[in-house]
Amino acid sequence: MADIGYISLLLALGAAIYSVFVYILGIRKKHPALLQSARNGLIAVGGLVSVSVMVMLIAILTHNFQIEYVASYTSRDMSLSYLLSALWAGNDGSLLFWAWLLSIFAVIVVLQKRDVGKELVPCAATVIMIIQIFFLILLVSISNPFQELSYLPAEGRGLNPLLENPGMLFHPPTLLAGYVGFTIPFAFAMAALLTRRLGDDWIVAIRRWTLLAWLVLGVGNLIGAWWAYVELGWGGYWAWDPVESASLMPWLVATAFLHSIMMQRRRGILKIWNMVLIIITFNLTLFGTFLTRSGVLASVHTFSDYALGSFFLVFIGLALFIPLGLLYYRSNELQGEAEMESLVSRESTFLFNNLLLVGAAFAVFVGTIFPLVSEAVRGVKVTVGPPFFNQVNGPIFLAIILLSGICTLIGWRRASIRNLVRNFLWPLVAAVVLVVVLLIAGVTKLYALIALSISAFVFFTILYEWFRGTRARHRVRAENYFKAFWGLVMNNRPRYGGYIVHIAIIIIAVGVTGSSLYGTEKEVTIVPGESMTINDYTLTFQNIDSYETESKTTVTATLTVENNGRLLGKLTPEKYFHRSYDQAVTEVAIRSTLVEDLYVILIGWEDDGTTSFKVMVTPLVSWIWIGGIVFTAGGLIAFWPERRKTPSPRQVGVREA
Amino acid sequence: MLKKKKFVIGGIIIFLAIGYLGFMSFQSSATYYYTLTEFAQQGDSVNGENVRVKGDIASGSVEKEQAGRILRFILVEGTESMPVYYQGVVPDTFNEDFEIVIEGKLGADGVFEAHTIMSKCPSKYEFEPEDNG
Repeated sequence: MADIGYISLLLALGAAIYSVFVYILGIRKKHPALLQSARNGLIAVGGLVSVSVMVMLIAILTHNFQIEYVASYTSRDMSLSYLLSALWAGNDGSLLFWAWLLSIFAVIVVLQKRDVGKELVPCAATVIMIIQIFFLILLVSISNPFQELSYLPAEGRGLNPLLENPGMLFHPPTLLAGYVGFTIPFAFAMAALLTRRLGDDWIVAIRRWTLLAWLVLGVGNLIGAWWAYVELGWGGYWAWDPVESASLMPWLVATAFLHSIMMQRRRGILKIWNMVLIIITFNLTLFGTFLTRSGVLASVHTFSDYALGSFFLVFIGLALFIPLGLLYYRSNELQGEAEMESLVSRESTFLFNNLLLVGAAFAVFVGTIFPLVSEAVRGVKVTVGPPFFNQVNGPIFLAIILLSGICTLIGWRRASIRNLVRNFLWPLVAAVVLVVVLLIAGVTKLYALIALSISAFVFFTILYEWFRGTRARHRVRAENYFKAFWGLVMNNRPRYGGYIVHIAIIIIAVGVTGSSLYGTEKEVTIVPGESMTINDYTLTFQNIDSYETESKTTVTATLTVENNGRLLGKLTPEKYFHRSYDQAVTEVAIRSTLVEDLYVILIGWEDDGTTSFKVMVTPLVSWIWIGGIVFTAGGLIAFWPERRKTPSPRQVGVREA
Repeated sequence: MLKKKKFVIGGIIIFLAIGYLGFMSFQSSATYYYTLTEFAQQGDSVNGENVRVKGDIASGSVEKEQAGRILRFILVEGTESMPVYYQGVVPDTFNEDFEIVIEGKLGADGVFEAHTIMSKCPSKYEFEPEDNG
């Protein structure tokens, strides 16, 4: 059984190598039959890798513990959904999943109907297959997921109980899909450089791929944050762990890329910059994988595998320097068609926002690899903790948000002062009013006031833009306001989807501001009947109890919650002790509202009922998750295909008649 | 060319600002990272300084007080050992014989007062076959 999986990986490797050589031959000789055959090779890779994934899934579902991977990550008592998630729970499995996604994406690329960029496809497919070869070589050599054990274990080790959370089902695959997705725009960029088709074709061809990869990676990060918050029981959602940073960096650079390709399309500028951005984005996805696989950094996430790490490092070196060399070689064919004119223009806000996004990614990069650098230079490891990342990125992110607001209402090329005053007066007034209200309400921290006023200002600029567009449509077309607004959005989905994403970012920024600046926490040790207070909440500890189920022992503490004397209900923080796993799992109790979250962790207890809790009140956390939903909606609206401008069959029929 | 200059200057200002921010934040948050053996070799120079130390939790050394709120254990590596005091929420992945990283400072009494305990993410327990150890 395992042999089938392994052999199809070997065959896939053969097919990928075949595909690369025949593509190159076909492109050189401009021979359609060769290109066709190479394409079939690529599709065969997709089929063969799918076969090995199916074999792996069957092995997992039928509990074939002969296969080491199955024995390491699954057991008989796991439910179906967690069994499926075992596919990406371990190192070798997640590489197999990666290769599978890439092979599927490659098949979609060659089969996709496209109006522009057709000529780039063979070359882009070659680049994708070269990358695929790298992953397949890993899978058939040092990371073989079908490795068999010399004996047959009666039972597998199972999934760590901490991972039994819906987050496990969605977080790893979305992150991986985001990572893998950036291979496609990278491949098209390389194709443009290699074939000297350096116009806008490649950008048109990859806009939606990039958007999707970016959206999925962003969602993956947010799910990870949510998972950490509800499951890991430390009350936070982002800890700047190297692996978290690793998935944020490509997202930041890709954000810059998505914006600067708009500049290339509209004004024909920043062509080299766009190439650099996509090369960096792709390399950062590899770097993120390298960090998780190699164990070079002391992260809570890392696997330790020296051989795999070295493989990745060599591959990153190649994937960085060959494209940059190629770019240098072609740079004189990538000159801009226009010049930036005024500092006060939309171009200028795009450009500076680009620099800020890349700067933020760079700061995160430096902070992440600092232990390595300091060890190499001075022989001691120096780490920088979360305070570093927060202090550096806080102001940068605020500047980015502010510029994105100015960008919304400023004209292309050059904006006059009068035009600025007219556009920004109302949003500015609204933001100032809000700050005054906040001051009266007791928000006095300067950082919070700055962050919230920027967020409010940008939010109102977007609303104002929508209002003006809707009003214009209402007047010209005599549509009612609702219909006018709907038409406005639907007729320019990329643009209005983008605005919705901006609003999502503002909602998240408000959530982060509130939760990071205004949290309170308290640790108490109390006996049943005693109460504790935090802010306006009074928590009364009722009792602590334990009960047994088939697979675990659960200890539950029950607390009643009152707010200013009004009974709100019960909270029951718990701890599980699984029979098959030597580890406790803390299940926090959260009472979440739009205003704030009450978060209770059961720390421990003694036989006489004395129990320790940690209680936190964190404002506005739920805004982050709401922002995540809005983010997804906005991204999907921007991603949704535009209607093809072909006449409907009925009209064709009429014409023919 | 004058037009271009404005943007170059703008870009330089942004990078200087980020550099400055980075430097200031670095000053306030740089932390040495030692293995326990390296840490022991530092002698008195590290007393009272915020550091990260990596080591294993000695089996049988974990003691809890105040219904689990206060934790005492011995961190070991090779021949070195160091008593550790910690108050707060103990991560679920905290287990005897496991490798952990603690952050905090060494007190004059020789007890390391940790404010953070970092242990390995549960997703990544690699299965170690017997012949590989």
